[in-house]
Order: sequence, then structure tokens, then C-alpha cells
Amino acid sequence: MRIPCPYCGARDASEFAYLGDATLTRPDPAAPDADEAFHAYVYLRDNPAGAHSEWWYHSGGCRRWVKVARDTTSHAIAGAELAGGAR
Amino acid sequence: MSRLPSGGRVDRARPLSFRFDGKTYRGFAGDTLASALLANQVRLVGRSFKYHRPRGILSAGPEEPNALVELRSGDRREPNTRATVAELYDGLDAASQNRWPSLALDALSLNGLVAPFLGAGFYYKTFMWPAKFWESVYEPAIRRAAGLGRAAPGKDPDHYDKAHAFCDVLVIGAGPAGLMAALAAGRAGARVILADEDFLAGGRLNSDVARIGDEPSHAFAARTVAELASLPNVRIMTRTSVFGIYDGEYGAVERVSDHLATPAPFQPRQRLWKIAAKRAILCAGATERPIVFGGNDRPGVMLAGSARSYANRYGVAVGKSVAFFANNDSAWTSAFDMKVAGVNVTTLIDIRREVAPALAARAKALGIDVRTDTQVTGTTGQPFGGALTGLSIRTGGRNGRLAADTLAMSGGWSPSVHLTCHHGGKPVWQEDIAAFVPGRTPPGLSVAGAARGTYGLGDTLAEGARRGTEAAGDLGFAAALPDLPATEDTPAGITAFWHVQGSKGPAFVDQQNDVTAKDLGIAYKEGFRAVELMKRYTTLGMATDQGRTSNVNGLAIMAELTGASIMETGTTIFRPPYTPVSLGVLGGHHRGKDFRPTRLTPTHAWAAEQGAVFIETGPWLRAQYFPKAGETDWLTTVNREAKAVRASVGLIDVSTFGKIDLQGRDVGAFLDRVYINTFSTLAVGKARYGVMLREDGIVMDDGTTARLAPEHYVMTTTTANAAKVFQHLEFCLQVLWPELDVTLASVSEQWAQIAIAGPRARDVLARVVDTGVDVSNEGLPFMGAIERTVMGGVKARLFRLSFSGELGYEIAVPARYGEALARALMTAGEEFGITPYGIEALGVMRIEKGHVSGNELSGQTSAGDLGFGKMASTKKDYIGRVMAARPGLKDPDRPAFVGFKPVDKGQRLRAGAHFLTIGAPADMAHDEGYMTSVAHSPHLGHWIGLGLLKNGPARIGERVRAYDPVRGNDFEVEVCSPAFIDPNGERLRG
Amino acid sequence: MTSALDTFPVTQMPADGHYGPAGIHGVSVRVFDPPALALLAARRGGASALTVAAHATLGLALADAPRLARANGLGTIGAGPGRWLVLAEAPEDLTARLAPLAAHAAITEQTDGYVGFELSGVRTRDVLAKGVAVDLDPAAFPPGAAATTNVAHINVTFWREPGEERFVFLVARSYRVAFARFLIASGAEYGIAFAHRG
Ligand SMILES: [Zn+2]
Repeated sequence: MRIPCPYCGARDASEFAYLGDATLTRPDPAAPDADEAFHAYVYLRDNPAGAHSEWWYHSGGCRRWVKVARDTTSHAIAGAELAGGAR
Repeated sequence: MSRLPSGGRVDRARPLSFRFDGKTYRGFAGDTLASALLANQVRLVGRSFKYHRPRGILSAGPEEPNALVELRSGDRREPNTRATVAELYDGLDAASQNRWPSLALDALSLNGLVAPFLGAGFYYKTFMWPAKFWESVYEPAIRRAAGLGRAAPGKDPDHYDKAHAFCDVLVIGAGPAGLMAALAAGRAGARVILADEDFLAGGRLNSDVARIGDEPSHAFAARTVAELASLPNVRIMTRTSVFGIYDGEYGAVERVSDHLATPAPFQPRQRLWKIAAKRAILCAGATERPIVFGGNDRPGVMLAGSARSYANRYGVAVGKSVAFFANNDSAWTSAFDMKVAGVNVTTLIDIRREVAPALAARAKALGIDVRTDTQVTGTTGQPFGGALTGLSIRTGGRNGRLAADTLAMSGGWSPSVHLTCHHGGKPVWQEDIAAFVPGRTPPGLSVAGAARGTYGLGDTLAEGARRGTEAAGDLGFAAALPDLPATEDTPAGITAFWHVQGSKGPAFVDQQNDVTAKDLGIAYKEGFRAVELMKRYTTLGMATDQGRTSNVNGLAIMAELTGASIMETGTTIFRPPYTPVSLGVLGGHHRGKDFRPTRLTPTHAWAAEQGAVFIETGPWLRAQYFPKAGETDWLTTVNREAKAVRASVGLIDVSTFGKIDLQGRDVGAFLDRVYINTFSTLAVGKARYGVMLREDGIVMDDGTTARLAPEHYVMTTTTANAAKVFQHLEFCLQVLWPELDVTLASVSEQWAQIAIAGPRARDVLARVVDTGVDVSNEGLPFMGAIERTVMGGVKARLFRLSFSGELGYEIAVPARYGEALARALMTAGEEFGITPYGIEALGVMRIEKGHVSGNELSGQTSAGDLGFGKMASTKKDYIGRVMAARPGLKDPDRPAFVGFKPVDKGQRLRAGAHFLTIGAPADMAHDEGYMTSVAHSPHLGHWIGLGLLKNGPARIGERVRAYDPVRGNDFEVEVCSPAFIDPNGERLRG
Repeated sequence: MTSALDTFPVTQMPADGHYGPAGIHGVSVRVFDPPALALLAARRGGASALTVAAHATLGLALADAPRLARANGLGTIGAGPGRWLVLAEAPEDLTARLAPLAAHAAITEQTDGYVGFELSGVRTRDVLAKGVAVDLDPAAFPPGAAATTNVAHINVTFWREPGEERFVFLVARSYRVAFARFLIASGAEYGIAFAHRG
């Protein structure tokens, strides 16, 4: 599988480290329900068959976290964008 | 001789000598081992897998199930090589497989008598029997009887390579469709790779006799290949099998030197290609199917198109009297071709009542006896060798006999759809051609020619050209359809037919795995009717040929049994690889010590000079210990090194630690969020020990971080976690808190870092720093971190840190000066007897001091477990804080960090021993933790340990049982503080 | 590995010389220590200000892409968004020269972090194809194009120089022997001249 890094171009998936679901937001640690929210953030994952937004770290290239839109059933990649916008 | 007087694509001016089972034969350049054997009238080439039945050559291509040989000898011996694709070379040495004592006289062919025991479901049924029967009786017998060739005895002397290729259009198969596809895309300017498993491009153009335009098909192929070779944007890769599609990339293996006795100097034997292609066109052709009838595995029974190929491509007559048995027109064309080429074709047997009048007329004109509405019901053969001598036939209800030494059969053709299935596509049954054609294809892949059931030559050429034009056009190349030459098309009528009912003797469906029609009947009766179950129960299609000649027949027979249609019955799934791939080529150069790259520390050469013994720690090689003359075991050496450090001074390279420079306005705030303790308050010029957690509350890593300037910190990580921590920090900065002004730079490679430790460490340091650098207790106090120069102007970072518990410093210099620094420290410390020490002694001293390391940072321990609970700030949030407060991680009964010493001081402790309350039974319910690290303490004179014990810190002074059934140890230890020496830290502050 | 490396342990730089069939010279490798090298990393939100300042004060053109640009004895190689490796052609105190950019960027000394490998010769791309999973066709990777990638499990930054088949690789110092072994194992087939000097 080749992943289209927005900076480096298409690269073999072996250059990337996988993290997973990119739709999650780190909860507010000061919120009254922080325990529950962090439990969900750390452990609870959907396992969609189809479109999935996920984090890949381009460890072998630009060292940027890349948000990749991948179809989990076909590995087709619809797009990729860098985390955090331009620095 | 069976070599025809003329014809074929072999080079009769280049005779080659080869050996098969010890006997010498001659062939020609351009032969395969199979064609050369047939030319020498060698018909028996192997014994079958289970029943040891004599087998001959079935095919002329990669689908071959029978003619598997051991190629070459000694450490280059390669079992299960298909003689039909093994290119002949001078001196080739091959041996038949799976026979004992000889090919002709095989004692184990008696297996045929016990065939019922080896039938469908044999393995499953046998495994049901008592295990001791399996081990003592059945397995040895089966291992002796079944199986294929023998692996080479020693290490493969050849090397293998891997490479990447990129193209616009990958064309798989260089037959008529592939050549035209490559030509269309190549002429348009697209970068084209044309890959073909054969050593001669052209596919069936070399095996058929047809006219294309005004030239024979093989000449058309050669001319087209020459044009393609002249295009700079086209790369032709023969001897290259594309074996799999992996999400847009194509795996291929190039047999660089398999056609040579030994590879040329420095040439690999094989090369693995990963091809990134924007478009691909599958032009893999089709495979002919056998007909299933009794005795169809007898040497002399072969595929009709293959017999034709032997005549036309290799100039070989496969027999002296050749009969055909078919259900389709292509076999008739094969028969005509061969007759014209000079082969004695006697009879055409066809199951159909009627064939096209033109075919019948042509047969008559060529003097071939035609038997329509006729089936072959059995075969007779020679004793022992078993080669074919005659056929039993049935016309209508009448039985008869025919003499023939060769039967060329054709049950129709199966498009080579395998690669189209690698992304989950399912082939679709096409009734009119009685074949599965590609269903949904992988993205970017189209199919042309016989691989999608297009059989006519003109149609195939046109389809290839069209697909090539389309692929190039898709990619923005202005592609014009090449002119299509005129062709004469041959008829392709077929009546689906699979299995001669009521024939005599075992009727083989899968010849390589010895699966018969009767086995399928057993599977049906026992309920294994779904194709995937049938496959596994009978092993149909599970041999090295992956059922190329057997799958469709097998499921068609199952469909007949169940009464379902073939489409309803469906096919099994074809998975990569399409063809067997050697493990050697998958490894490439990465074998032995080159399995993975080795990282060398800046002082490696110096340490080697000092006689270091090295040890792998991840990719790094680090000095483990430095034995001196007369020291015969490692413990003696390690004891000496540790004692020398505590008595005077020693040095060790610690460059392998991860080192990260952090710069920016918000570094302090950032560190506060990733460490459990506070760094924003750290003074410039000071370092602090920190612990970071994963978001789930478990400890990720530890290390010291120093503040070199108000907006500049440098972090150290453990050697093992360097990359992981960097990645984590980048996640925090890029994803969680992009608003923070922090930039990271890995400086692990920039700085060599050497630790010196021991009461004389300051004296040594003072001699390497430049004039005016104050390293006194005031100038560089405990946990100080300053940037100065050493060795006459070399930039250095000086840290006063200690892992050993002694007065210690770490000196970082640019990596090029690392070795010079080690030498300078040795000189400076000479008068104190400075001792180089390795990571063993370092480990001993850190255990004596009670510091945690990798064994304790196991990915299962919380900060509280390791005694860092009080370090954690309560005034801020940090990664892992919320989850670390979970009841499970706060449970006071969790095993927590303490020290251990044996009650009997002579006992050797072992990491991994589990703790039990004395008197408690040794079971999981009473498990109270385990020993994580042990060392022999030269300081104390006995073994000491660190470990995690339930409620440990509250049990100091108590005795527990250290139970290690793996090594057979079971004795009492005393729980103690993990700080075995200098618990108040007086030495390191001195 | 190939017989070409049998006499060299993985802990030792292979000796200078020719590896491969006698008389065949497909590739030349020159190993060098970078004269001076630094990482220039834009501060949060500061990439455009850095680009302007680098141009104004040092005459450097920082491309927002994996490309090499040269000016005033410095080559800048895009290593990531807002990150450039700056390579000097001659030894100098590079962090001092770059200091005027400190308001916009973190400047990190890297002279000792890398070892350079310059490859040239008609078979260079054939050798590199064995480890580089990046399309090096001149149309896809013209002179000045750069990439950071993994080669035989070793992270490298490299670019194509102008002229025929010339590539320069920066390899982490601790991996220099491993990278040399990759080159020799892969290049011996085509004849490879390996040298530390010059
Ligand atoms: Zn990237």
C-alpha cells in the first residue's frame, strides 16, 4: 500500500506508523465526567467496514502526522492531510 | 528420436548436454527440461505425492502438476521445480522426486493398495485418532511415503535481491494481447513494463501456427518484441512472474540466474520486484483443462495444447501415435497443427455428437480417424513404467479399444483470472465458453485476451491494443490504436464436459495432490459440499500448482453431484502468490548479520580495541563488558568493572540514549503536559529526572531533561524508546496542541555521549575540559547541565547525572569527537586506573542503586507501581493523568517496586521468579508479583533483585517465596528497599 | 550478503576499492563528512516569516517542498513542512551564520549527525532501485528533487544533483556502515567503486 503524504508524495506504508481513529478529540481533563470521557477516548473504537479517518505518522519521511481517509475494506485512499495545518 | 526433423524455436546449432536421474541426454538451447526429456523419449518423470503412481509430463507450462524435479545438486538443490518451465542449460542436473529405490521400480507404489486410507478427509480423520498413534505410527509412515522433493542440505550459496520499479502501465503476460497492449501504451509514450514468466516473449504466438498479416505468428511476436525493446520508455522483463497484487503494487519475481548452473559472479539468483504501476493490464492467457476419466494420470496422457506447443515451439513429437480426446474445437486445431508438423496423429475422439463440418473435412483430408460421441473410459500401459499403450473407448453404448502411446486431451480452457481475485473479486461463470471469467477487478487493472475468455487471435490482438490505448489515455497520453493485422481465426466451439462416468480405475482431478473424482464423491456424501470445505477436506487445489488444472473440474464435478449450477457452486478464492516464491528472494540481502542494519556507537572502534564483548540492544551493538587477560567468565569481569567504578572511576558510552532538542517559547509548558512532574520551573543550567505516561496511565519512558537556555531544553530517552517517544511528542505537538511554540529535533546522532562515574570522576573531567571551565561542586552541582568546551575547543554539553549512584557526569561532544573523547578520558584517568565498563556493569550498579530500567518499564507498570507516585504533580494535567487515577491502577494491592535479597546468601536470584506468601500454594490465585531484574552485587557480595510485589513497600523485612518452576528454583527471599547502596545519595552529591 | 562483503564484519567500514566483476564500473560511491550541516525548523506559525527572512538576510530560497536549492555556498533541502536541512559547501560555523534567523526558527547543529554518500555512474539508479521505493525517473525526480525515506531499513535524506546520474545521500552516522553494505551488496552486480576520500 502506498500512502500519499501531502509533503513527501506517495510512499510505501512501511514508512508510516499507524495510530488509528483520527476523529477522536482528547477530552477536557477538567470536566466532571473526565473519567468516562478518557475511558472512551483511550479504549472505545468503532470498527467501520468502509470509510475510516485515521492517523499515520510518516516516521520514515517528513515526520508529520497525516490524517488519511482510507476504506478499510479495499485500502483505497481517498485523501490525506497533514495534522495541525502548516507550521 | 522424437525430435522432429525441423521446426521449433529451439536453436539446433546449440546442442546442450544435461542429466536426469544420472543419465546424460542432449537437448537444444531454447528447450525446457520437459521438452528435452520428451525429445529423448523420457516419459516417466516422477511419482505422485500420496500413491506414488508413475507420472509423466502433463503440460508445457507453469500449470504443471506432475513433472516436478529436484534441480541442481548440493546446496543449490531446488526441489519441486517444474520441468515444463525449467530452461535447459548445458550441464543441467535434475533428479526425479518421491521415488524409492528408483523411479521405475517404486516400492511405495503399493500405497495405491491402501488408497482408501489416504482418501478424502484422511488428515482430519487421522487426527481424530489417539495422539500417540499419530506420533508413533502414522506420521513417520506418511513422512516416508508422502511429500515432494528434498530441501538442500546446507546454506544457499547464492544471493537474492529486491528492487522497486515504477511505471505507468504494467502489462502482465507477453502473448498476443500483452504485446499489443504494451505496443499501444508504449508508442503513446507511457512508461511500460512488460513482464512475462517465460524466457521467450510471445506466449501462444510461439506455440500455435497462425498467420498474422503476412508473417507467421512467431515472427510477428519477435518483430513486435524488437520494436518494444527499441522504445526507451518500455522495459521488457522476461523470466519474471507477477505473483500478486498488493494494494496498487505488484509483486514479481525475476529469475535472473535460474537458467544457469551457477549465477555469474555478483549476480543474484532471483530478484524480487515491487512494481508501483498506475495501470495494469492482465494478459495472462488461459490454462487448458484435463478431462477426468479412469487412468488419466498415466504417463503419455497430456494436454492437447501442450502437445501442440511441444511440436511447434520445441520441434518435439510427444509420441509415435497420438490420439486426441476433447470436447472443444481447439483440440482439433492442435491435432491438425501437429499432423502438419509431422507428428503421427491417428485419432480424434470427441464427446460431441457433431462438430463443425469444416473440422471434420480437414481431419479427413489429413487422414485422421474421427470418433465423435465417444469417450475414453480407461487406459492401458506398460508394466512397471506404466506409460500409455492403449485406450478403452465407448461410443454410444459400444466399448472398444484403440492403440496409442499418447493421448492429448482437452476439456476446454480456463482463463488465468487469479490476479483479478487478489482484491476480493470473484470470477463469473460464462456458459458459452464453459469458463470462469474475471469479475470485479482490482483498481487500475483491466484484462485482455484469453485471460478474460477472448480466444480468437484477431479478437485477442484487438482487445490487447484497445486496453493498452485506454490505459495510456487514462493517464493523459495521446494514444492511437495500432493498426491491427489480418488474422485467420480458428473455431472455438465447446460443449461443457468434465467427467467420464463409469470409467475404469482412479480418475484424477488433482494430479499433484492425488485427489480423485471418488474423493469428491466422499466429500459430497460426508457433507463437505461448499467449495471451500471440499477444497480443504480433499486437499484439491492445495498443492504447489494451486489447482491450475484441477479447480474448475473439481467444482464442476461437485456441482454435478449437488445438482447446483457451477455459478451457484462458485470457486474457491485465489490468493497471492500466484506462483511459489522462494523465501530467499523475499529476504533479499537481509540475511545473517545483515538481517537488519546494525547501529554502531561513536566509540565502537575504540571499544573493540579495548577488547570489548558486544551485545545487540535493538539495532545497536553496545559494549557488554571488557574482559581482561585471565578473566575467564563474564561475572568476574563485570564484578571488577563495577568495583572499579565505585572505588575510583570508570567510563561508558551512553550515546544510544535518545536525545531530543526542544526549542521554543512553550517548551516548559509542553514538558509539563508530557511528564508527570514539572519542568517549566526548572532553572537554566539544571537537569531533572522525568517520567512520562501513555494516555492510558501506564509508564511510557523515563529520562533526564535539561534546560540549556530559557527556550531550549534537551531531553534524553531510553535507548529502546527513542523513536517511540519522538513520535509521541510529535503527536502531542501536531495533533493535540498545535498552538504550542515548540520545535523538536532529534540530536541522537549529532552528540556522542560518554558517562564517567566514580569518586574520581570530577578529577578526570577536570582534565578534559578547557581552561577556565569550572566543574567543581559549585560550578557544576548535582543535576547541573552546562554548555562548555573540552579537548581544546570542542563544543560539549556537560551534565552531572548518575545512573550508577556514584559521582557521575555525562559529557556530550559532536559525534565525530566521540572516539577522541573516550581516548582523552582514558588518558586523563590513567593515574586513577580509569576502567571502561559495559552495560552489564552499568546494569549491576543501577540495580544496586534501585533505578528502574527496561525490565520495569514493561508497558504494564504505573508510576505508582514504580515508586514515582509522589513525583506526580497534582497542580496540572498531563498525558495519562486521568487514566492513571483509575481504581485498577490505584489498587494498593498492585505489585509495587521493591528490592529482594536471598535469605541464603549463596542463592542465585533469577528474573522471572514469581513471589508467593510463604506457605501459599504455587498457583495463579496466589501469585503476588515477580522479579524483574537481578544482579550479582560485588558491593554486597551476593545476588540482589528488583521486582514488583503485591503491597511491596509495606512488606519490607518480610520473607516471601521466589518460585521459578521454569528453572527449578524455589527459595525464600527477603523484601528490602530497592536502594541497596547509598540510600541517601551522599556519593552522587559529593 | 554477496561474496563482495564476506570479509568485512558488519562493524567495520568496507575497504576502499572496487567491488564486482573486474573491468565493470557502473557506480562510484564517495563517502564524506558534511562540511557543516544544520536543521532549520520554523517556529509555530513562522514558516512564511522564516522564508522571507532567509531570503532577505542570507539570500536563501526555502522551498516548501522536498527540494534542494543552492545559494551563497549553502544548499537547503526540504525535510518536512517548515523544516530544512542546511548544508554548507565548506566548513564553517553554520549555526552562527544562521543565527539571524533565530527569531523565526529553531537552529540545530547536525554536522556530526550525518555522513554523506555521493553516488554517480550509469548504473546508479539500478543500484538505488534495490532500496529506494521512490520513483527516480528523471521526469518524476529531476535534478534538485529531494526525499527523506527509508532505504534498506535505514532512514536517509537524499537529492539528485544536476548532471548525469548523480545522487547525494545523508545517512545517520550510526548507520553509515550498514548503508555502505547496502550499497556494495546492491552495486557489486554492476561494478562499484567505493572510496572514503575526496
Ligand atoms: Zn511525509
